[in-house]
Amino acid sequence: MPELRRDPIIGRWVIIAKERGKRPYDFIIEKEKTKGGFCPLCPGNEKTTPPEVLAYGRSYHDPNGPGWKLRVVPNKYPALVIEGELDKRGEGIYDKMNGIGAHEVIIETPKHSDTISSMPLEQLQLVFLAYKDRIIDLARDKRFKYIIVFKNFGKAAGASLEHSHSQLIALPIVPQLIQEELDGCLKYFEYKERCVFCDIIRQERQQNLRVVCENEEFITICPFAPRSPFEMWVLPKRHQSRFVSLDDSQAEGLTSLFSLTMRKLDAVLPKVPYNFMLHTAPLTDFGLEHFHWHIEIMPKVNTVAGFEWGTGFHINTTPPEESARILRDSSPN
Amino acid sequence: MSSDPKKILVVDDEESIHLLYREELEDEGYQVISAMNGEDALKLFESEQPDLVILDINMPGMDGIEVLRQMKQLKPNVPVILSSAYPEYKQDLASWASDDYIVKSFNLDELKASVKRHLQGG
Repeated sequence: MPELRRDPIIGRWVIIAKERGKRPYDFIIEKEKTKGGFCPLCPGNEKTTPPEVLAYGRSYHDPNGPGWKLRVVPNKYPALVIEGELDKRGEGIYDKMNGIGAHEVIIETPKHSDTISSMPLEQLQLVFLAYKDRIIDLARDKRFKYIIVFKNFGKAAGASLEHSHSQLIALPIVPQLIQEELDGCLKYFEYKERCVFCDIIRQERQQNLRVVCENEEFITICPFAPRSPFEMWVLPKRHQSRFVSLDDSQAEGLTSLFSLTMRKLDAVLPKVPYNFMLHTAPLTDFGLEHFHWHIEIMPKVNTVAGFEWGTGFHINTTPPEESARILRDSSPN
Repeated sequence: MSSDPKKILVVDDEESIHLLYREELEDEGYQVISAMNGEDALKLFESEQPDLVILDINMPGMDGIEVLRQMKQLKPNVPVILSSAYPEYKQDLASWASDDYIVKSFNLDELKASVKRHLQGG
């Protein structure tokens, strides 16, 4: 019989269609052809991107030239624009403001064919360092309330360009999904005086049903009520509400566990399209006792259609206990 | 305008767009050549040596993004302006290989300004 499960943080319900019990080979992952041709993110083509706002690894002074290990550039065709005032206003009952924000692209590696799961650990650590550096810099702009960092991998997940990159958008509002998560965490904290994510980590480690992998500082789990087969959350074991609080020893722990997590995903579902999103506290909230930053990884193996749009429910054909077991038992390269 | 007009290759699968762009761009003194799909566009790009390309994205067969990457691989200095009815392709970073991205409109002022800017070298 299918099972309805409720997410303990935001109260979202999902349907776990246990009887379908899809295994990795049941998912049809469309093989993407490697496209040739010009790549605007490769070294030597820096002039096709806007001027960089951050670069690591150049041993000589040549801004916007080659020799870099990682670059961050504003989006050439941004969803929001950096210059201007918010001009918050109403139109009857409706609220609006100017589309102000920062939209940046993190070019994660100079190597066109590297992926998160194949790049060396020191390269992946630069990616997390860049997230932190850019959030710290953009947080100085008082117009911004929230910064979302995300990655789209594969065409089905929204990225047709193979060169490994992630994106960052600084927003003048806290997005609704994040606000729901903050509200859910606060409600739990007011009732139990504990962080819900800390409780989840504690229980998952005790039960060991949905743990994928862990090290001293971080843990990867398949959440109890996942929206997608093989959905994973990567969480710091110590309570921390802001990603920018990540210290050096944690950065190493995050890098090694995140790499292992993504290599496991690649071993189970080779080249599966995915999105990952960093959930951290709003820019003006410091040291929240009730919120816990984390990274959510969503493989793109199911379709969001009328039922999901109409109800907010997701139908998941692989129970998270099964997803976690398969991922845990996988042997990545 | 000099006696040697700049040559613009317009790539689009809609005949009405060709008629509109040709009329407006020829009025500006440009020479216009046309391709209805990506494969023909790449042949003309090599044989006709256009000074600038106006390229649709959503076309049957080879899409505009793939055509763009091939063109930039062959001749990175020839400006290519993406012209699409859909702004959402801006989220596709492969579109960054282009020199501009114009959302289609029957008012061609923005497109003509972009053409002029890129043919004058910025």
